[in-house]
Formats: sequence, C-alpha cells, structure tokens
Amino acid sequence: MDEISWLERIELFRWALLAALCAGLVCPWIGSFLLVRRTSFQGIALPQISLAGVALGFCLLPWCSRVLGWPSGNPEAMLTDPHMAMNYSLVWGGLFSLAGLGLLLFFGRRGEGETARIAAAFALANAAIYIFARYAPFGRNEIEELLHGEIQFLGLHEFEMVAVTCACVAVLLGLFHKDLLLVSYDSDSARILKKSVLGFEALLLVLVALLVSVGTMTLGPTLLFGLLVLPPLSARRFARSMRQFQLLSAAGGLFSVVAGVVLSFELDLPLGAAIVAAGGLLLLPGFVLRTPRA
Amino acid sequence: MSRLLKLDGAAFGYGGRPLLQGVNLEVHAGGMLGIIGPNGSGKTTLIRGILGLIPTLSGTVTRPERDLGYVPQRESLDAIFPLSVEEVVQMGAYGRLSGLRLLSRAERRLAHSQLTRVGLAERAREPFSRLSGGQRQRVLIARALMSTPRLLVLDEPTSGVDHDTELRLLELLRTLCAEDGMGVLLVSHHLALLRQNVSEVLLVDSGKVERGASHAMIERMEHCQHG
Repeated sequence: MDEISWLERIELFRWALLAALCAGLVCPWIGSFLLVRRTSFQGIALPQISLAGVALGFCLLPWCSRVLGWPSGNPEAMLTDPHMAMNYSLVWGGLFSLAGLGLLLFFGRRGEGETARIAAAFALANAAIYIFARYAPFGRNEIEELLHGEIQFLGLHEFEMVAVTCACVAVLLGLFHKDLLLVSYDSDSARILKKSVLGFEALLLVLVALLVSVGTMTLGPTLLFGLLVLPPLSARRFARSMRQFQLLSAAGGLFSVVAGVVLSFELDLPLGAAIVAAGGLLLLPGFVLRTPRA
Repeated sequence: MSRLLKLDGAAFGYGGRPLLQGVNLEVHAGGMLGIIGPNGSGKTTLIRGILGLIPTLSGTVTRPERDLGYVPQRESLDAIFPLSVEEVVQMGAYGRLSGLRLLSRAERRLAHSQLTRVGLAERAREPFSRLSGGQRQRVLIARALMSTPRLLVLDEPTSGVDHDTELRLLELLRTLCAEDGMGVLLVSHHLALLRQNVSEVLLVDSGKVERGASHAMIERMEHCQHG
C-alpha cells in the first residue's frame, strides 16, 4: 500500500468512504433516540441478530435457489452478482432484525431485565452466526469480512443501498422528530395530546430495524454498533438541549468516519474497526472535562 | 360556573379488575379539587382514569377532550433526556402540530409567555435536568398550559419540594383558577396544605373515594402519614 497515494486510495475506496459518511451522519442520530430511551444495548444485539439471519440465508441458499429456481440453479453464481447477493441477504437480515426486535420487546413486556435480555440475545446471535456459517456452503468469506469490519471494497450497489436507507431514515426522523421525542419522553402526555403512541413506537422500531439490517450487510456489526452508540454517548455530556444533542451526535459520527479513514490509511487497519476506534476518542473529552451525568 | 369534569359511579382498574369503584366527583371552572390518600391507595389509578389513560370499567366520565392539561410526577420523566427548559415547554404544543409542521413563531412566543407566567423565562435555554424540583414542576405546569386547557390535572406536584416552594406552586394554581377560570385537580400527600388551598378534598382509600375533608379523614391520613 506504501506506493499508493492518498488520492488513489480515496478513489479506490470511494464507495466505502461515502457509505461510511452516510452512516456516520444518520446512525448517531437514531442512536441518540436509543440512548435516551435507554435501549442502546439493542444496538449491540440487533446487528448480531441481523448477521445471524444473513448467515442462515447463506446456509439455506442452495435450498432457496432450488425452490425458487434462481439463479439458473447455481447458487454460487448468485454471490458473483452483487445485486442478487445484497437483496437476498437484505431479506434475511431484515427478517431477523424485525423478529429480534419483536422478541426483545415481548420479553421486555414480560418484565425480563433489559441487560439480561440483550446479553442473552447477543450471546445466542453470536453463536448462531458461527454455527450457520459453519454449515453454509458459500458466503463464509463475506460473513468474516462483515465481522471484521472490512468495508473497503464496498461497491456502488452497496453504497446506493446505504445512501437510500440513510436518506429514508433521515427524512422520516426529521418529519416525525417532535412526535418521536414526545412519545419517548412522556408517553402519557403524548396520549393525552392525541398522539398515536403505538404508531410512533412502531415507526421507530422499523427505522432501527431497517438501518440495522442494511448496515449489518454492508458495513458490518462492529461499525454499525460503534456509530449507533459512541457519538451520542459523547454528545450527551456536552449537550444543553435535544437539538444540540442530535447535532453533536451527527457531527461526532462524521468526525469518527474521517478520523477512522486517516487511521486506517496510515496504520493499514480495517476501515470499520478504525472508525469505531476513532469514535472512542470522542469519549475522552467527556471523561477529562466533565463529571458523568445522570 | 360550568362543569368541566364529572364522574358518575365510575370504576377504574387494570386487566378488567376494578381497583376503585363508585367514584363520583365534579370539577367546575375556577374550582380546585384535591385528592389525598395513602401510598398505593389508587390515587394515580384515579388520575389515569380521569385522563382516559385507562378504560372506565363502569359508570361514566365526562371530561373535556381537547382542553385537558396534565402535569405528571416529575420523577416519572427520565433525566437522561438532555432537554432544554424551552424544549420541554414547547412539547405542550405538539398536540396541535402534525408531523410536517414546525413550531411557528406564535407557538414559540406562547411558550415564552407561559415560562414568564411561571417565573422562569430567563432560564429558557438551560438544561431542564439542572433545575430544582420546584422549578421543574413549574416548567411542567407551563408545558401543560401550552394546550390552553380548561381543566388542569396535576399528579403530586408538591412531592419532594420544600414548604416555600409548595406554597408558591399552590399560589400559582390559585391564580390560574381565579384569573383564567381554569378547573384544577391535584393529588397531594399534604392534607393540611390542601385544606388551606383547595375548595374540596377527596380521600382515596381501600378502593373507595370519599368526599369532604372530615375530621375522621384527617385522623386517618395523619395515621397513614405517621404510621
């Protein structure tokens, strides 16, 4: 890599960089809602659950290929078509994300502790990834790349998926920001003000599931979790209003991506992991300058 | 004076099982009704029933559908939200705003004037979580006033605040009744304070709601408070 200039690297990895920038802007925004709702740990379990779904998809690829009759009865050929592979994985990742969220909520309503639920979901999803990957005839490399945060070689199609998803999530978060905030902060008052609490809770869940399932397949669980949690955690220590909190979160996400790219290029680190490491730097000023808040 | 709230033989509870039965009460414009009772007696259930947050199992509840202001227990609001004082107050206007509408200049002005009314306009930009208990309570009252309610329902607004703050809060509520003709219904643990400031006190205990601040009621409450 020594002989490749920065400009050439940027050109080579442009889709990965652009996808990371999109995620760096939107993941912390939605992560800010997860943080104040005290559901940040969903951000660690959901990408793993989604990836378990992708791994199961690879496991069942020969069967799906035979039953659905594509692509020309040769499942391995499907992996060479990035569109087909992405869309196929998206279905499995999305299904598992939604099912995972549903189960977490179901057990939450039964009074199971938040930490225990998430820890169990994370452990089981992690085990499922390795078990499914062990039996998957294809796609092990893809799963390992996602686990390791190797996102350098994302293509145009993956970038388009991330960009469209981030745009949709950002538009809906922007449009319904007031309602999502009110429902999250004071659901009783929201009901009295005639807001559909269930509807807005469902909207937030769908946005989280959508972002997680697309993000897991393109950016990997490590990067996704890092961007969902670290920038909002850092921003909350300094924010004096919700508006500041969300702006600082998004700014922190962008900083993580830019600093992570520099770290990755300079030290030859996996890009996703380098971005998360850079996100960790955001926490330092909070620890040094301020005492922890409630 | 017009009647704002009427409960006629109402029963409230959870999962179809009534916790409170045969509740009769009325709140009129300009009137102030206090609700008192020991912990776990069903005060919050009564408030939730009045607000329509839980179904009425029997009897009837007649309440204003839109002109209802609610001040929750401030401990029920999570301090992890980094909201500014003005953001909390502006939330009171969200009921009028659909997803696409932003807060108008008029709504912002209204929020500012409600903060002025509760004496906290100069602290509008400060984090809500850094205010004292009494100040947070006043901010929540300003938020409830954003919906220009005719009936204001407050769940333990004086809990955890010092005596002077209690008096100032009750003075603010009396002003709202007298100047705006608002009906006020509040839950409190402090019987003596309620008796000095409200027109009628109801006791919630053992699944029933009794009217009138009788001597027996005071004795029972004092027994509960000290026992």
